[in-house]
Amino acid sequence: MAKANPESLVKVLARLSSRELVNCFQCIKCTSGCTALKLLELKPHEIMKLVNLGFVDELAASDIIWTCVTCLKCVQRCPQKASPYHVIMALRNLAVEREAKVPEGYLKAVSQILETGLAEGAQKVVTKKMETFDRKSLKLPKVTPPREGFQPLLVKIMEEKSY
Amino acid sequence: MKTAVFWGCRILTSQYAYEMSVREAFPRLNIELVDLRETNCCGDPVKSVNDLAANYLAARVLALANVAGLENLLIPCNRCHFVITEAKNIVEKNGRLGQKIAGLLMEEGLECNPNIKVWHVIDFLHDLVGLDNIKKFLQKPLKGLKLATHVGCQIIRYSDLGRVDYAENPLKLDELVNALGAETVDYAEKLDCCGANLMHSHSDSAFSLAGTKINALQNLGVDGLVVSCPDCGLMFDFKQKEAETRVGAKLNLPVVYYSQLLGLALDVEQEKLGLHLNQSPVDQLLPKVSP
Amino acid sequence: MPKIGVYVCHCGLNIAGVVDIERVVEYAKGLPDVAVTRNYTYMCSDLGQRMIQEDIKSHKLDGVVIATCSPAMHEETFRRAVAEAGLNPYLLEIVNLREHVSWVHSDMPDEATEKAKDLVRMGVVRARLLEPLEKSKVHAERRVLVVGGGIAGIQASLDLADAGLEVILVERAPSIGGRMAQLDKTFPTLDCSACILTPKMVDVVKHPKIELLTNSEVTEVKGFVGNYEVSITKKPRYVDEKKCVGCELCTKVCPVEVADEFNEGLSQTRAISIYSPHAVPKIAAVNPKHCLRLKYDKDVCGKCLEACEARAINFKQQPETIQVKVGAIILAVGSQVFDASKMPEFGYGHHKNVVSNIEFERILNASGPTGGQILCPSNGKAPETVVLVQCVGSRDKRFHEHCCRVGCMATLKHAILIREKLGKDVNIYVCFNDMRAFGKGYDEFYRRARDMDINLVAGLPSDIRSKADGSLYFDVYDKGTNKLLEIRPDLVVLANGLVPNSDMAKIGELFRVSRSADGFLLEVHPKLRPLECAVAGVFLAGACQGPKDIPDAVAQASGAAAKVIDLLATGEVELEPLKAVVDKDLCSGCRLCEPVCPFVAIEMKTEIVDGAERLWAEVVEAMCQGCGLCVSACPTNAIKMRHYTNEQVIAQVQAACATSKVGGDG
Repeated sequence: MAKANPESLVKVLARLSSRELVNCFQCIKCTSGCTALKLLELKPHEIMKLVNLGFVDELAASDIIWTCVTCLKCVQRCPQKASPYHVIMALRNLAVEREAKVPEGYLKAVSQILETGLAEGAQKVVTKKMETFDRKSLKLPKVTPPREGFQPLLVKIMEEKSY
Repeated sequence: MKTAVFWGCRILTSQYAYEMSVREAFPRLNIELVDLRETNCCGDPVKSVNDLAANYLAARVLALANVAGLENLLIPCNRCHFVITEAKNIVEKNGRLGQKIAGLLMEEGLECNPNIKVWHVIDFLHDLVGLDNIKKFLQKPLKGLKLATHVGCQIIRYSDLGRVDYAENPLKLDELVNALGAETVDYAEKLDCCGANLMHSHSDSAFSLAGTKINALQNLGVDGLVVSCPDCGLMFDFKQKEAETRVGAKLNLPVVYYSQLLGLALDVEQEKLGLHLNQSPVDQLLPKVSP
Repeated sequence: MPKIGVYVCHCGLNIAGVVDIERVVEYAKGLPDVAVTRNYTYMCSDLGQRMIQEDIKSHKLDGVVIATCSPAMHEETFRRAVAEAGLNPYLLEIVNLREHVSWVHSDMPDEATEKAKDLVRMGVVRARLLEPLEKSKVHAERRVLVVGGGIAGIQASLDLADAGLEVILVERAPSIGGRMAQLDKTFPTLDCSACILTPKMVDVVKHPKIELLTNSEVTEVKGFVGNYEVSITKKPRYVDEKKCVGCELCTKVCPVEVADEFNEGLSQTRAISIYSPHAVPKIAAVNPKHCLRLKYDKDVCGKCLEACEARAINFKQQPETIQVKVGAIILAVGSQVFDASKMPEFGYGHHKNVVSNIEFERILNASGPTGGQILCPSNGKAPETVVLVQCVGSRDKRFHEHCCRVGCMATLKHAILIREKLGKDVNIYVCFNDMRAFGKGYDEFYRRARDMDINLVAGLPSDIRSKADGSLYFDVYDKGTNKLLEIRPDLVVLANGLVPNSDMAKIGELFRVSRSADGFLLEVHPKLRPLECAVAGVFLAGACQGPKDIPDAVAQASGAAAKVIDLLATGEVELEPLKAVVDKDLCSGCRLCEPVCPFVAIEMKTEIVDGAERLWAEVVEAMCQGCGLCVSACPTNAIKMRHYTNEQVIAQVQAACATSKVGGDG
């Protein structure tokens, strides 16, 4: 018998800018048009219903919340101005807080930002003629990293549990 | 006209052609670009990790633009444009979250300017510069080209946020291409996503989404696809060959940034526009550009 | 020394659940001039009212204060009770302890009780200063204006005329019938719409008490209940109504093609034509925007003039303005269908084979553009797969939040008719969110549809696309099976919702009727008084008050007619005495009040005094709505608002400030 957890629901709601974002009446438009449905079986309407009924813990621990492409079609077309996208982002934040199944890619991006200020490392590009280029060889201006105070402040912010 | 520019991360670390072509083309339209200094990531990947930190990072970019003292901020990346626009709204509303972010910025002595205007390449050129003005500067109109446009997702959705173009029928990029003399086509998959965001976690599916769209475009018989976002460029141009295996069809579609096309029409040398860096077969496209 | 009775109502637990009634009663006992205090669970009940009446008689009360719910609820009731007991009904003061206290301060019972005491104190102070007033009577015209000739307007007109009242029925289009005339069959009985409507339309035109003005619009409304002065403009048809025999020879020879409005643009008619297949009156009309003669103002073409054997066509016809005096107005102006081109993702206006529900009605109709055959607009072939999509433009915060009420039933009807006309060879899908089959026989109708192998998909599509060859395709997820269905329809019918007319704001201004948040015309109370407008003498019937089906429209129309019959029964109308009154001696004739009055209720009068002309303002009581703007505008305090005099209001303000308790959260 499935058990809802109202406390976890409160945590999700606290991360949303408005109650309207969870006000779903299950018209299914979001799922019908979801970019990630066919390949990854993401059903935004199901996530909305699970959240509304308080089944947040299983979602925060799941893989499915990491399949959203963030195309925002569900937000655009929802007739109730609900937003599966924002709810999924809130669930992801909760998953990170609980150290659940967070894909490597995101954690890598975060540590890259802390290190260099950018989410990616500089790459070399190889042309079809097998020539290799980088910023320097393309004579592009140097990238200036953020000033000193940035990193410790960002670390502080990320560690804070403001909810 | 002067504008600050925020390049984000991907453009600065791999999508060099986009940066080169904007740097070449814009001054020829009498637009002076002023790079923001000591920038940070806009916070896009951080949104999935910590919403407060993500909005803080985006607001920090706005605050850096304020340091530059300029009223216009040009953002060539769709994702940066979305994240920064959401953060701008939060800061403007000045609610609990907005005040907290303002406080965090203050710790570095930074502040957002409420009057700053945020632009993407598309609406900057279409609405601020204007199609007529662009036509005035053309040297080599791109006659004889039939192209499709992919405007992307995060600059047209969600409408309530105030986006760059109409979500269900975005025509600005098409009109910008037409202004260069090329023809554009409408197609059923126009509003479909490139899948770039899935590269963090489900790259196979990302390739599948991109490849499916390229395949559909090939069946239309167009000469090429025009994009205006480094993530879309990454998927359709850089990863086109990799996407082939996921789609089970040969993919051979030239993919260019709008700024590269603009540069061609303004008679900029191909190398200066980074066209040698495109991984898709743009050499199929270039001979069709009439002298 | 006045004697005032104070009655505190519990309103069940509505008030008593928050306010400490006993404390309020105790407090009231201690107020000066209070002769008796009582409290009861439901003051508005028979027992409660009798309690008050007995006290009035036994204590010889001069004033009554009832602390209860909003006066909007029961002030009339209590006034009647007080009058029955022999006390002037305007010596009653209602203090609102529900909407103003218990309902808004339910989380602060102590403060709420204090506020209740304050309000009762203010009420007693006012009651002391109230003056006895009498209602006045004015003559009422036993003639009614009905605006809109759809089924609601038609029904109301017939009911009114049968009751002996004169009716003027004004319809904007060249024929009456409205939306119902466009329908093929009606749910849930599948009656042929024209078959049940046309007899009523003929009754209207034949009824001796109904004057039918088609091709006409109301342009001005002045006056007040019982005495409205209405201007109606008869737009020229350019055809003599008395001569035209409806033979349609003119239509056959007219060279100018015009999109047929009655067929929702699915076919062409001509610049001179009869509006609809069962038009009443069956008289041709010329479309001045398209007719070559009228458009270019030259003596060109004239083919219709040659063809008309009755010599009925007259290009020199001018608009005619008619002035009428009526006692009441019924608005039955109907609603519009949502324009789905506002939702480009469904392809309406872009793909030919995506049609609206009202367009589909015309396709189904034997007198429509396809002779009743179900054919795809792009190729004229019968569809093999038809999809009907619900809630287009309705229940949608991006467009209209309301539920259109008829969409589900209309779609089920369409699905059943498609099955009946095309037999087994067609796949029918209905994509819906909720299926609303609420009325009499409606859920049985829903079962009938399910018995006909109609695929009910519990889910709405996100968009509808077309391939390069024009063929339609889309995906829709079904809740029941958890499957993503990939559908290739030949024809898509969108259930566009009923929405307010685009000129509702103009109608509102013309008749002084407000609109509710959803844009439809506003009734006084959605449950207890759904047919009346705030302006006395104006009533609502049909879809203009809110989207509804034919049974409800007809019921509402008869209801509105009954209210009008009741209103005009005696040929007189009672007016409330709560009006402004000008003290002639204090009036300086400055005329500041005149433009301030939104109801044009102030008239300047002149007389010669000592050889000089003296001007003073007089309030036309019947027009005055008691808003008080003139009272505040008058620089010499010459205008008094009966029942809301300056003395009364100031006394209440002083009583409000009398407590020394100022503080709290503010």
